Amino acid sequence: MAKERRLSKETFLRIAELAGLDTKTPHMEELYPFVQNVLQGIAPLDELDLTQVEPAMVFIPGQEQ
Amino acid sequence: MNATELCFLTAGQLSRLISGKEVSPVEVAEAHLARVSALEPALNSFITVTGEAAMAAARQAERDIMAGRYLGPLHGVPFALKDIYYVAGVRNTSGSRIFDQFVPTYDSTVATRFKKAGGILLGKLNLHQFAYGPTGENPDYGDMHNPWDTDCIAGGSSGGSGAATAASQCTLSMGTDTGGSIRIPAGLCGIVGLKPTYGRLSRHGITTLSWSMDHAGPMVRCVEDAALVMNALSGYDTHDPTSATAPVPDFTKALTGDIRGLRVGVPREFFEVPLDPQVEEAVRTAIELLEALGASVTEVSWPMFHQATAISSVILMSEATAYHRDLLRSRSAELAPSVRLRLEAGLFFSAADYVKAQQARTLFNRQSLELLRQVDVLAGPTLPVAACKLGSAEIQVGNTRQGVIPTLTQFSRPFNVNGFPAITVPCGFSSPGLPIGLQLASRPFDEETVLRAAHAYEQATPWHQRRPIGSVII
Repeated sequence: MAKERRLSKETFLRIAELAGLDTKTPHMEELYPFVQNVLQGIAPLDELDLTQVEPAMVFIPGQEQ
Repeated sequence: MNATELCFLTAGQLSRLISGKEVSPVEVAEAHLARVSALEPALNSFITVTGEAAMAAARQAERDIMAGRYLGPLHGVPFALKDIYYVAGVRNTSGSRIFDQFVPTYDSTVATRFKKAGGILLGKLNLHQFAYGPTGENPDYGDMHNPWDTDCIAGGSSGGSGAATAASQCTLSMGTDTGGSIRIPAGLCGIVGLKPTYGRLSRHGITTLSWSMDHAGPMVRCVEDAALVMNALSGYDTHDPTSATAPVPDFTKALTGDIRGLRVGVPREFFEVPLDPQVEEAVRTAIELLEALGASVTEVSWPMFHQATAISSVILMSEATAYHRDLLRSRSAELAPSVRLRLEAGLFFSAADYVKAQQARTLFNRQSLELLRQVDVLAGPTLPVAACKLGSAEIQVGNTRQGVIPTLTQFSRPFNVNGFPAITVPCGFSSPGLPIGLQLASRPFDEETVLRAAHAYEQATPWHQRRPIGSVII
């Protein structure tokens, strides 16, 4: 079972501030539950054993981007 | 043939008439532009109509064809582009008033290749803002309406492409697909939508949503037209670093009608989630028809299907937020509220979360490839429901109520995570008369197999011949 990913309101506001959002607006009251819901939605990733698994991001030196 | 009948023709049918000089590109363009004008109050499919340029291009096409300079099956065929495909000199809003006056100075590769093929651009199509949503609701340019019931969503994000093609305002259109944005509106509007393999079509000159999950693809009224578009647009592009060098076949040669021996896998996980009973019945009936046509059908297991949404969410949201970071800083109040929330939420993923999701993506892709060694095609619903009413925050799915975004995207997202080709074809209608879609997917760069399977199914059924004719659609 995926463990819950929860952010306290305090942590949420701190991260929002560090990310450059204006934490003094009423909009934060709408964003906080939305973020909670999103983070809960990605909890299934915590069920996976990713030991020795390379991320699907390929870097090839010298390849033009 | 009257104007309405001209608009109902597919690209394949039109091309045979145009190349045989039985119909002029000028009358075809005139008929379509008149239909765009007549139906826009009901559908709101277009943001920009390029009427004068379209007629000029049609007259040129007529001169060229009469002089023996026929370019191929798309010559003289009217098409439209989702308003994130750059066309030099034509505004590109990406569905946001922030870019209402932005005019690109160069063409997307897709636009360039359409011009080279002689297609007639009718205009730029409405979309969910920045391609970031599955409903086709847009507060800046107005919601798109489903031609089968204009109180219902057209789907998104390529909602204008879905509605315009289904209503025959254009012969074909292009959408983009990052979490289902071709297949969702195609499924809800009753047309064919193909998300090719990642890298098969160039992303150069298309407003980005998520670099590693964006796909360009055709939205058309029959599988043959999808093959014609793929022939014209596929191929390596030096402007796109993710463009594939895979050889490009003649996709129309795949349309044999023969699927004897095709191994179709039906993931049991597709039917373990809530499904509208009418959708389930239509899709199961469609799969039975594939078997009757000679395919062998087996139930398979795809355990990581249940992680696809989580993998997709982290990658898509992180990349979309990174791309739109400047807008978030300076113009967040001007964003559509739902788009603003999703972009801001992307700020709450850590770099470690993103890498973890990419690791999970590696596992997911390995499992996908293994599955498609056992079978040739995966089959299932495109969506668990038919179109819901505009303005819905939740959707009834069987006995449950669910959020709109996860409901509409759950069957499409896996194929953005693995980048495999996936197509939707109409497979029936709900009792209120709303389309239901069957999704077929195959291995990387094997569009031929999905096209062959989809075409065989289509030709054995009547769904693609039905038109959304009603009180607002003529």
